[in-house]
Amino acid sequence: MFLHDLFFRLRTLMRRPAAENELDDELRFHLERQTAKYVKSGMSQAEALRRARLEFGGLDQVKNECREARGISLLETLVQDLHYSARSLLHSPAFTACAVLTLALGIGANTAIFSVINAVLLNPLPYPNPQELLAGRQNESLPNLKDMQRQTSSFASSGGINISPMDFTGNGEPARVHGAYVDAGFLATLGVQPMLGRWISPDEDVKGGAPNVVLSYPFWRDVLGSDPHVLGRAVRLSDKTYTVIGVMPRDFSPPRELADVFVSLWAGYPEAAPERGVHFMHTYWRLKPGVRLSQAQAEIDQADHRLAEEFPDTERERGTVLLPLRDRLVGNVRPALLVLFGAVGLVLLIACANFAMLLMARGVARQRELMIRASLGARNGRLIRQRLTESTLLALAGGAVGLVAAKTGTTLLLALKPAELRRLDAITMDARVFIFVFAISLLTGLLFGLLPAWSASRGDIAEALRENARTTATGVSRSPLRSFLVTAELALALILLAGAGLLIKGFLRLRSVDPGFNPANITTMYLQLPGTRYPKIPMQNNFRRELLERINAFPGVEAAMITDLPLAGNYVAHRVVVDGQPPPAVGAEPLVQVLSVMGDYFGVMQIPVRAGRDFTAMDREGQPRVAIVNETFVRQLLPGQNPIGRRINWARADDPNDWMTIVGVVGDVKHSGLNQPVDPALYSPFSQNDEAWRKWMTLVMRTRLPEARLVEDVKKQVWSLDNQIPISDIQSMDDLLAVSVAQQRFYMLLLGSFAALAVALAGVGIYGMVAYRVNQRTHEIGVYMALGAQQCDVLRLVMADGVRLALLGIVLGLAGALALTRVMVSLLFDVKPTDPATLIGVAMLLAVIAMLACYIPARRALSIHPMTALRGE
Amino acid sequence: MPSRSIDLPQGTLDLLILRTLSLEPLHGWAVSERIQQISSDVLRVQQGSLYPALHRLERRGWIKARWGTSENNRRAKFYELTKGGRRQLEIEQDAWLKLTAAVSQILETA
Repeated sequence: MFLHDLFFRLRTLMRRPAAENELDDELRFHLERQTAKYVKSGMSQAEALRRARLEFGGLDQVKNECREARGISLLETLVQDLHYSARSLLHSPAFTACAVLTLALGIGANTAIFSVINAVLLNPLPYPNPQELLAGRQNESLPNLKDMQRQTSSFASSGGINISPMDFTGNGEPARVHGAYVDAGFLATLGVQPMLGRWISPDEDVKGGAPNVVLSYPFWRDVLGSDPHVLGRAVRLSDKTYTVIGVMPRDFSPPRELADVFVSLWAGYPEAAPERGVHFMHTYWRLKPGVRLSQAQAEIDQADHRLAEEFPDTERERGTVLLPLRDRLVGNVRPALLVLFGAVGLVLLIACANFAMLLMARGVARQRELMIRASLGARNGRLIRQRLTESTLLALAGGAVGLVAAKTGTTLLLALKPAELRRLDAITMDARVFIFVFAISLLTGLLFGLLPAWSASRGDIAEALRENARTTATGVSRSPLRSFLVTAELALALILLAGAGLLIKGFLRLRSVDPGFNPANITTMYLQLPGTRYPKIPMQNNFRRELLERINAFPGVEAAMITDLPLAGNYVAHRVVVDGQPPPAVGAEPLVQVLSVMGDYFGVMQIPVRAGRDFTAMDREGQPRVAIVNETFVRQLLPGQNPIGRRINWARADDPNDWMTIVGVVGDVKHSGLNQPVDPALYSPFSQNDEAWRKWMTLVMRTRLPEARLVEDVKKQVWSLDNQIPISDIQSMDDLLAVSVAQQRFYMLLLGSFAALAVALAGVGIYGMVAYRVNQRTHEIGVYMALGAQQCDVLRLVMADGVRLALLGIVLGLAGALALTRVMVSLLFDVKPTDPATLIGVAMLLAVIAMLACYIPARRALSIHPMTALRGE
Repeated sequence: MPSRSIDLPQGTLDLLILRTLSLEPLHGWAVSERIQQISSDVLRVQQGSLYPALHRLERRGWIKARWGTSENNRRAKFYELTKGGRRQLEIEQDAWLKLTAAVSQILETA
């Protein structure tokens, strides 16, 4: 029955022209027969025809009823409505363009952010069964990792990786590559197979194991020219020769590391491999199927406990936390992305409110047309359906334009993205994004089309007719819906503006943080001495001293060296003991940053010496060991005491009586980032270094010379000393500073542009409302002026409502901002989410913008000439 | 003449059409004529409402239409009862008889 019905309707629709002809024929036949019958009974032809027609009733109406009876209506009216809508939209291109553009902005912004969220938070990780993958929050040493593997049964596999720069030589200029020290279990844990050859086997992953290397696809392609016979080839990395045993697949990348070559930790860094206290590997774990995270964590806790008891020297403070891999990867960007998604949601709501108001204004303008159609018998439902078709058509067009805008937007996002969003490289507009756009457009069209359609159809036609006789306006323009929309728009815009204001303020605060040094005109570069040719500390220092002397001989260059630059993200930390203080429990000694320097480091970086003295050329090998500490060191380790002359040593040092004497205190430097607290730091001269493995250094050079020339000159000097040493990370301190705030800058720019968009849309909304009202009340204003009203009276008349609604919206928005900005707390630096100055500032800014948006159209009311207005009636 | 005839009660038109068509296939005009004739001109079919009813019945699958030649040699659309239509006619006839019987009984006894 139902099928027959549907089939019948469809067939009718398909052969619509034929069906129409048949209907015409059928009814004409009837009329002819009826006329013939009357003629036969003696009427004249004309009389008979008239009679037959009269009896039949309205021909068109009967046809319509027949069509409806055949059930064409449902499908066909849709086609009709679409046709009608498209035509009428094309007839008012200005309106159509406004509506489509408004929605395109809202939908485009949403789509752009959604595709980021889709790529970062929703898309599966590029490993098989990613739901089984966990990552350790803390780094781990290889012995600990092996012990934990042995002592647990929840895991199918686990592995570790550490990224260290390696020097690739034997292929022209020495190059620095990202080396990965791994264990055999690393790749099995991720569940990936090499594209060529094989991975490092467990029996190679031991002391004295064969020095083999697995290459990344880009390294194989770009450096070795996609050599098909690469397996077995020898590759020289950091002065060691490795045999290539495998090449990884093209799309493989470690979860959160960049790696060009993979070697076993035992082969690449045998000194560190057995060190239990060297916690430097990222760990990844694969759960056995069916094992829950909580079970695994419980096992890990027990293993931690055992390790802490067995090795209190280094493992006293254990607390391994395993996280689902995705949380480990994106845990810190998730809140930011959700805030941004919320923000674009608000932008869309504002765009929708404007859309609804546009539709309402159009509805009023077309009132006469609608009334005519209504009086011709179009039913209310039909009129609503028709308007819904129109709004949905507009919304879908807006969605399509929005999609294009989003594509551009994501390209822009990618250009701005900070390093934390590395997974964004995989961003694509996949099916999910398209479904999202389609759904959001459809919903927008239906929901926000329904509002004005519903409010318009409720209006009594008779009443509308009566009003139309004079000024249509008052009844419709005062509609509570319009007032509500304007108020809501301003409230939402204020919330966004508050969020952006807080981020901007936080960012400015961050930028104004004193890094503790003067970054201007500083160029830096990173060097690492190959351990094979510089195994001894004196050899390393001879190289450093010679290089530094040569560079300092350049006119106009002041140079010095430090192990790790501030803001670059690395440092070595040691536990220390202070002479004269009761020794803390083993493994609980204070941890301090240890930085070695050579040359006038504090002078070049302009780090102030607060007390005592700077290092001198006399502080070198064979002289009493000296140290300079930062202010935080003094505050935390020697509070209220004079640090100068106090002695410190490494906890559990080889020679516990070989103390370092503190000779000076320097200002704090923001080593880990402008928004990070300063840790206690200890500077010692490179020349008194007691650890041969600290064989790297960063040159810092203050100069006004062009950077490119300086870099060339320095390279020449380095390679004239040793042509096997690569130079990397050439960057100015200003750039490093900019990179360190890139993430905050990114969020600020995004939220800022969304807020600007929101304010613009809300401004257009309130502008539109006032302009519309002035238009509708031309007559009234004319009368008013004819009666002698002053300009300010007229302005008050037309602006009052807009201003009142704007202020109400701003007050509501302030309340909303107070409630909502709390979600941003993790994105803000040194600003409370309820910062009153910001909230008041943005409220005033929005108030001024709203006033302007009211004033500009209101001014037009002043130019109304009373006589013209009255004559217009 | 019109003053003598009464308008069809709501819902009976379908029944009358089905009944009329149960004898032989007819075109629309003939259906209205036949109803008028058989009822001795008492029942008057609103000609305007006849066609929507025919199309509705066709959609429900109770009658089907085909084009043929009329008695005066013109192309005309003939309707005939389908199997389903015959069943429906029985159901409606039955219901109608029951209804009228019940109404008559009330009118006679009350």
